[in-house]
Amino acid sequence: MISLTFYILLHWLIVLAGAPLFLGVIPRVKAVISGRRGPSVFQPYYDLARLFQKKTVYSRTTTWLFRAAPIVALASVLMVSLVVPFCVFKAPIQFTGDILLVAYLLALARFFMIIAALDTGYSMEGMGASREAFFSCLSELTLFMNFITLALLAHNISLSRMIGADIPVSWQMAGPALLMAAGSLFVVLLAENCRLPVDDPDTHLELTMIHEVMILEHGGVDLAYMHYAAGIKMFIFAAILVPILLPWQTGNVLQNWAIFCGGMMGLALLVGVVESTMARFRLNRVKHFLLISFALAFFGFIVALWRI
Amino acid sequence: MLFLLIIMPLLAGVSVCLPVRKRFRIELLCGVSLIHAVVTAFFWKQLPAPEFNGYLVLDYLGLILLSINSVLFVAVSFYMLGYFEHEPRRNRIFTVCLFFLLSTVTLVSASYHMGLLWVAIETTTLFSAPLISFYRNQQTLEATWKYLLVCSVGIALALMGTFFMAIAAHDTQTLLLPTLLSNASTLSVNWLKLSVIFLLVGYGCKMGLAPTHSWKPEAYGQAPGMAVVLMAGGLTQCSFLALFRVAQICAKSGLADFYSSILIFSGVLSLIVPAIFILGERNIKRAFAYSSIEHMGILVLGLGLGGAGIFGALFHMINNALAKIVMFLTAGSIAQKYGSARLEDVRGVIRVYPVTGVFLILALLAGTGMFPFATFHSELMILNAAVSTQHFALAALGCLCLGVMFIGIGRIILEMVYGQTTEPVLAKKENLFMNSAIAAGALILIGIGVWMPAALTKVIQGAAGLIK
Amino acid sequence: MTIWIDAACILVVFFSLSILAAYRIGGMIQMFAVQSLVLSFMPVLMHSHALSLRDILLSLGTMVLKAVLVPYILFWAIRHVSMRSEVKPIIGIGSSIVCGALLIAGSFWVSSSVTFPGKIASDLVIPCSLATVLLGFMIMVTRTRAVTQVVGYLVMENGIFLFALSLFDAMPILIEMGILLDIFAAVFIMAIVVNHINEEFERSPAAVKRWSKMGESI
Repeated sequence: MISLTFYILLHWLIVLAGAPLFLGVIPRVKAVISGRRGPSVFQPYYDLARLFQKKTVYSRTTTWLFRAAPIVALASVLMVSLVVPFCVFKAPIQFTGDILLVAYLLALARFFMIIAALDTGYSMEGMGASREAFFSCLSELTLFMNFITLALLAHNISLSRMIGADIPVSWQMAGPALLMAAGSLFVVLLAENCRLPVDDPDTHLELTMIHEVMILEHGGVDLAYMHYAAGIKMFIFAAILVPILLPWQTGNVLQNWAIFCGGMMGLALLVGVVESTMARFRLNRVKHFLLISFALAFFGFIVALWRI
Repeated sequence: MLFLLIIMPLLAGVSVCLPVRKRFRIELLCGVSLIHAVVTAFFWKQLPAPEFNGYLVLDYLGLILLSINSVLFVAVSFYMLGYFEHEPRRNRIFTVCLFFLLSTVTLVSASYHMGLLWVAIETTTLFSAPLISFYRNQQTLEATWKYLLVCSVGIALALMGTFFMAIAAHDTQTLLLPTLLSNASTLSVNWLKLSVIFLLVGYGCKMGLAPTHSWKPEAYGQAPGMAVVLMAGGLTQCSFLALFRVAQICAKSGLADFYSSILIFSGVLSLIVPAIFILGERNIKRAFAYSSIEHMGILVLGLGLGGAGIFGALFHMINNALAKIVMFLTAGSIAQKYGSARLEDVRGVIRVYPVTGVFLILALLAGTGMFPFATFHSELMILNAAVSTQHFALAALGCLCLGVMFIGIGRIILEMVYGQTTEPVLAKKENLFMNSAIAAGALILIGIGVWMPAALTKVIQGAAGLIK
Repeated sequence: MTIWIDAACILVVFFSLSILAAYRIGGMIQMFAVQSLVLSFMPVLMHSHALSLRDILLSLGTMVLKAVLVPYILFWAIRHVSMRSEVKPIIGIGSSIVCGALLIAGSFWVSSSVTFPGKIASDLVIPCSLATVLLGFMIMVTRTRAVTQVVGYLVMENGIFLFALSLFDAMPILIEMGILLDIFAAVFIMAIVVNHINEEFERSPAAVKRWSKMGESI
């Protein structure tokens, strides 16, 4: 029992420490590509620290839902993180079917965010909420399709097994399927975390924002929770994607850990590059982009079925 | 000999690219077609020897198609002598394409390799497309576009089908027809089924069978009459030859029932669809195009019914081609004289052009299969085959559709011939060359309708005997 | 080697899907060019014996013809026929993508019922080529503008080409030459037709209206 508590705390430590760093790398990459120096990679830590020191202000029109949302969001993503293995740090909680837990806890966080956005009664937030709901519908479809493909290849529906030791064998057997799964998971990562071709995290024009517009009314600690939850969510997606793309298992623990950390940094770099080179899609094109990623995931599933 | 027959029109086509007189090009076409016809006539006595390791072989089926095309080219080239007297347009591209077309249809008749057959049919499409846009205007370009597009798709699907056949014949490593037939039992059945479906759809597009017929009214409506004769009488039947070859392979490899059922299905569809569309039509060329779809349906139906139906279908191939001479050359004359083929612009033909008016009536009778034209016999044979193979509903439906077709075309033609007179745009003159070409077609058609020569029966029976 | 062939097959299908989802004609042509480029490596990748001159020639020929020349002609055509650059689909892009995914599934289903006799470089070649043919067909049927239909036809031809490569050793070179030739001829003629239609526009503005409606009945 003691050891389980220890592992859980260790896992949370990694997530809480790693997520802001992951978020910090991306703006730095973008700045370097566009020829600027850019903020320090530790900037998100400073931002969070500053927000934690602030007082929270609530509108009189809001109810308890608005206050609950940040807590629920952070709590759900922290729960999800316990199911996801971080290379040498095995997932503290694993059971058959835990991918459903992953998907639905993420959905729960999103649900509360949407409800809180509607609770403010601000029309822009409502618009952002409706967009978030629509796009996440599509990206969730892709996510599930990819989970099915991975489960099919690993003959198991536990996340730790699906992205665990069987991946090198699966690459041998159905490389193209895994490649497509990885590609569409990357699109899901961009879409779920409101990165550039789908949503611009830096813009502050309410008309086109998706995620950012939903948290306009939050302030202080609540906003810090929201930002933290978003960062952890991205970190989790990256942690699912990296072992698929870099399945090498050396005997050495340190080497494995180095590969994992390198992969995470590489992924952050890739997101930065994508954000610097691509323009934001028009809102009515986003659904096509997400549908393409779904078609890719579906194609991967077919190839996996074909090869198995 | 076959090779020379293929290469001769090709060389003539290259030579008329030179800046020569307009009339000379047509005279050369007449000459080349006549030589072609004479050589073909010799083939009726003695089939030529195979050439190029068996790639070029003329069997009785090929002979029928070759003779049809020979006759069509002779008729068309003489018709053109008259047509271009009143035609100010340049004819270089048109005649060059005709020469190349003659060469490629000869290649189609003689190719004994499924790949070569595909290549030949593909080239006929390419050379026939410029014929449609002889009159450069919006509508003809649209029609050409549609023709190219639909036929290209058809050709692409047929190529896919040919590849499937190549996989089915993996053991024999060749697509030469005799090898395929003698090793038919070793062909992989699933691949062959896939191949048959793709080939039928592909060549069906080119033939204008019902779901993919949409190019026909457009293209036939816009192309000059002599080009349509070659397309409706020659090119579409080239694709029928391909379907016949497929039937040969199917019969040997035990897929005859499978192939028959899809042939009958598409044949019935091609009977019903034009019968529906004909009733609203007011353009004589487009109406004839629908009749052409119907005739293709009859051909396919005959092939699908098997037995006596195959004999009927082969006989109908010949009759259809001859009927097309009467129908489309007359329609072409009308279109040239009135500058239109629509019912609103063309009325009272019999009072202005008595001979053309009579030809229009003959075209109605020939095209819809009336006695004494031979189309009557061949259609009857196919209906007879339907009854004798217990397809009673099919026979009834066939009669109904043919009846509707007669009413649809008759309605237009009778009003065109006897209606209130409208003024033609061209000088009031009949042309001897044009009329004699049409008359010759009609006379031959009546001739074989009344008395069928023994040689013809022998050749058709020989061709029908290829399926067993 | 197989992993590369697999990857190329997947890419070819993926680009067909992207062409189906494209909403600008220029983008469609670019993606077609990239698809052809991927395809042009196939003869070199798929050879079963030692690398022969024939493989290299076929590769280079495909590259020059399909990845450079044909896209060039198509760009020339859209520059000269001053038509608008948006694709006009009959069914929406979203539903096209879903239908496309179903077509891919269908082609795998058909391929699973037949077995290829003899050796083949990768088992993905046949289903992927079938899927490309079907997707090309779909592009052709559901996109109304002339140039987009040509692109659809070319995608279809690419699928057929991929299929033909699996028969590489069994068939004489005649077939491959035939394919390359007929694509060239078809595109050439289509470009001429488009050009003629353009001339026709200059003469009568009313024709533009007809042209924009054209193709919907095909």
